Amino acid sequence: MLTSTERSARTRLRVGVGEGGARCRVRSTVSLSDPTAASIRPVLVHHDTDRARVSLVPEGALLLAGDTIELDVTVDAGARLDLIEPGGTVAFDMRGGRASWSVLITLGPGAVLTWAGEPFVVSAGADVQRRTVVRMAPGAALALRESLVLGRYGEVPGTIRQQTEITLDRVPVLVEDLPLDPTSAPALLGGHRVVSSVLAIGTSFGGPAEDRYDLDHGGTLWRRLGVRAHEAQLPAAWDAAMAGAEDRL
Amino acid sequence: MPHSELMMLLLADARLPVAGHTQSGTLEGALANGLDPADVPAYLRTRLLGVTRVEAGTAVAARHAVVTGSEVVAVDRAWAVRTVSPALRDAARMQGQALLRLANRVWPASTNPLGEVPRPGRSTVLGTVAAHFDLGAASLARLVAYDDVQTVCAAALKLVPLDPVVVTGWVHDALAGVDEVVAAVADVREPEEIPAVSSPQIEAWAQAHAGTSRRLFRA
Repeated sequence: MLTSTERSARTRLRVGVGEGGARCRVRSTVSLSDPTAASIRPVLVHHDTDRARVSLVPEGALLLAGDTIELDVTVDAGARLDLIEPGGTVAFDMRGGRASWSVLITLGPGAVLTWAGEPFVVSAGADVQRRTVVRMAPGAALALRESLVLGRYGEVPGTIRQQTEITLDRVPVLVEDLPLDPTSAPALLGGHRVVSSVLAIGTSFGGPAEDRYDLDHGGTLWRRLGVRAHEAQLPAAWDAAMAGAEDRL
Repeated sequence: MPHSELMMLLLADARLPVAGHTQSGTLEGALANGLDPADVPAYLRTRLLGVTRVEAGTAVAARHAVVTGSEVVAVDRAWAVRTVSPALRDAARMQGQALLRLANRVWPASTNPLGEVPRPGRSTVLGTVAAHFDLGAASLARLVAYDDVQTVCAAALKLVPLDPVVVTGWVHDALAGVDEVVAAVADVREPEEIPAVSSPQIEAWAQAHAGTSRRLFRA
């Protein structure tokens, strides 16, 4: 049986433009509190002079009680990083325990990060603190896709507190806190169990009018609620965000 | 200066000419998009958990900014980045303008701290006026949350055939949720301490409502 002993894993990933026409620098380290800790391993899929594509591959069973996952992603000035995930993540029943998942993204001037997140499933009994902090320098661009699924099929929601804080040039552009549990999830999500979003900041303007929330200080959030995962997909918004990252402001 | 309790009654009064009758607290959009009228009490609780908590926290932070001589514009911005729905921001700014017009005429000194704020939201204006009249942080939060409950319930009576006595019972039953909002925001001081609880379903309903021409309420 799994114990509630805390196991932490910290993944650092940094991408910078290569010098003199060389391929861009991609450095990563994974540090574990103990050898049994599950972690996220960055696998380089492709890179050229100023752009890298990295897959975030889970190593070990994720996400269980006591897991503390930290992901520290830095994209230096003028570089671009495209993050993909080989599959979704399931937070399992934690039987009174908790887990945390923290992402810190730092984007230098003119840096671009796209992150095609796969579903994050919060099983009944899971209790997860999930925090995303993005610090963008002027001229940086971000395209972020996320999908939160409350409970596996036919299951009641687990508990997740999802916090998002995005600053551009040290000034907040989006601050959100979604505290979902078996009681608040049906209320805040109107009986839906899937909430998907695409966030585009610093990218060129465009994309569908449906499910669209233009933020007050630039950037757009598309968000869609669904009962089943496929109902909440936002393919047109994601295409627009990816195209916008290519042809940015 | 009048007693702060009297000012609280005055500011909470639906007869205040600030276009309160144009607001349904997104109830009209909710009913048009699937909310069962029997679920209005649950809808009230959901608002107190999400959007109303952000509004009450904003009012308290604006009050604190005025009392300490800090910039109110930072509070209004903190509110705007916590309110992703343009429809909700527009509705709050329209109500802010209405309250500002009234305050400028009746209590011109109260709105001086808002000089540099472009189109402040209603909670920013309300918090600023409350500071002028020495209304406490908890009283102010109570006012924002109570007003939200009454706004939705008054709109429910116009949208759905209901017995006003039953609806008053709904208001009463929502007061425990009002107390929770007060407890959650009364100690807010700085803009970054304002709760940021999002309400994805209400935001979606607010956007849908803003896009329709067949409506009784603006928001």
